[in-house]
Amino acid sequence: MLHSLVSRWKGVALTLVSVVAVLWLAATEQLGLYINPDYAAFTVVMTIIGGTLALAALALAPVQDDHEHHAVGADDEHEHEHSHHVPAARARRVGPARRRIRTASAIVIVAGAAVALLVLPPATLTARTAIDRDVEVTAAELAADAPSLAGADPSTFDISDWALIANQFDDPAEFGGIKIELAGFVSPVPGDPDDSFYITRFKITHCAIDARPVGVPVHLPGWREQFSVDDWVVGTGELAADPTDQDGLALLPGTVGATDEPGQPYVY
Amino acid sequence: MTPPTTTTRRRARMTAQSPRRPLGTIGLAIGLAVVALFAAIRILTPEDPGTALADAVQDFVTLSASVVIESLPFVFLGIVLSIAVQLWLPPDFLTRRLPANGFLRRAFISLLGILLPVCECGNVPLARGLLQRGLTVGESMTFLLAAPILNPVTIITTYQAFGWQDGILVWRIVGGFVIANLVGWVFSRHPDPMSLLTPAFQAACAREHADAATTPRRGARMFVEETSAMLPALFVGSAIAGFIQVAVSRDILITLGQNPVLSVFALMLLAFVVALCSNVDVFFVLAFGSTFMPGAIVAFLVFGPMIDVKMLALMRTTFTTRTLVQLTAIVALASAALGLAVNLAA
Repeated sequence: MLHSLVSRWKGVALTLVSVVAVLWLAATEQLGLYINPDYAAFTVVMTIIGGTLALAALALAPVQDDHEHHAVGADDEHEHEHSHHVPAARARRVGPARRRIRTASAIVIVAGAAVALLVLPPATLTARTAIDRDVEVTAAELAADAPSLAGADPSTFDISDWALIANQFDDPAEFGGIKIELAGFVSPVPGDPDDSFYITRFKITHCAIDARPVGVPVHLPGWREQFSVDDWVVGTGELAADPTDQDGLALLPGTVGATDEPGQPYVY
Repeated sequence: MTPPTTTTRRRARMTAQSPRRPLGTIGLAIGLAVVALFAAIRILTPEDPGTALADAVQDFVTLSASVVIESLPFVFLGIVLSIAVQLWLPPDFLTRRLPANGFLRRAFISLLGILLPVCECGNVPLARGLLQRGLTVGESMTFLLAAPILNPVTIITTYQAFGWQDGILVWRIVGGFVIANLVGWVFSRHPDPMSLLTPAFQAACAREHADAATTPRRGARMFVEETSAMLPALFVGSAIAGFIQVAVSRDILITLGQNPVLSVFALMLLAFVVALCSNVDVFFVLAFGSTFMPGAIVAFLVFGPMIDVKMLALMRTTFTTRTLVQLTAIVALASAALGLAVNLAA
């Protein structure tokens, strides 16, 4: 009974878990933690369609299938009729041990999905991933996207623009003492772990799996006494030559203060 | 389709046996109760951004969930199209219209993605539907491999990202077409193509041919079966993709990028590991454009949509492990050859 119940309805159960999770994320405006908001509408529409079909299937689909009948070995007459049609009837007689493993793993998958999507709170990627994916690598990769300063309005630049500018320019004079304010989480600068940290954000193209860290180095000796890695901070100040690293610029902060993680922690 | 004798027997059995009757309103009520229960769990669990989990575990969950959430709409879309194909496409519609010659047939089939633009996770359910509608195993593989690359969305995003630079767009299209047809040809020569399919899927095909239920009920049953096959695979594939992201350091891959031979294999390995959708993988690899050679990028863009951890889990619902090993080997060798050739020419 349990075996056929699980093997029959695991897909519908997973559908309902995901549908509830996605619609709740959308309703609480947290879908952006996982995917680029550009795809949110499509995701919500398809999810509603999936959920509707799952409910319709519960009402309309036969409770059991010939297939499971075989598995339980209930009915000889069926066996006959079907081995006639089905070349693989032999392969479908599943031993009790294998059936138990199958049922158990299906339960584990459904339970795991429910825990991951319904019980654990939604979360932002941590600084661990930012360190692994390396702010400097992103800066090199995205170099061609750096905004041009000529005729641009610096107040429209986001943290990813400033990160590329800081990485590519050596001469602070070009910025004419523009005051900037940046919010992000703290991740360490590998070459200068004690005197500098990055104000970091993840840049998402499609979904969190392609997240790339962008960061502006902040020169603040002894920062570890005030902040720890992964804390959210707001820094204001001007870009200037990095005192420790001769290439590139760093934010010489007027003020750096703790802040709460914003509702929209990623840039897109 | 079905001989009348079977139909009558089935009807008789359906009234006689309770497990074959649908649940009707009771089923709907159960469904709504489950939805309410899930919603209650989700709303009532404290939304505390606490540090209960280690960072690595937390990121594993976040990354895996993001793959699920990103793929899910495409999987649903694929399932809906697959059901539509099976319910409303006359059985011989495709087989009648396609050219009789095997090579031409597969060439046409590899262009079906232009009409049915689903990215690769949605393609597996769709390919299953086409397989049940009379495509051979080799032809369905050609569709499965070609459609994610030869589809308008992928082509447009690739053009946006690379333009005509280094012939990347052209080689992606040509490579995808040639490899998909090569694989289709190889598997079309198999003496017993049904043995390439998993027994469970063979059984589903056979059942399909002997089905006389009404259209909504058949559709409902297909939805139950397709989600039971696809979603566990999607969750497992996503968990593997998330785990590898956390476990394998990115440094290693990137240091390989400058070597004309190793860069090709490094990016193919990366494509296998990151398991991105073909519609957007190009934006991801654009990031490597400055560090990796063009051949490596072509190999990434051709190999990734065809084979990756998530796709293997999804395809395992339909093809046997042995078949998938052979398929992976052929696609990997061909993509590597293409990538190396582009690097040599560059």
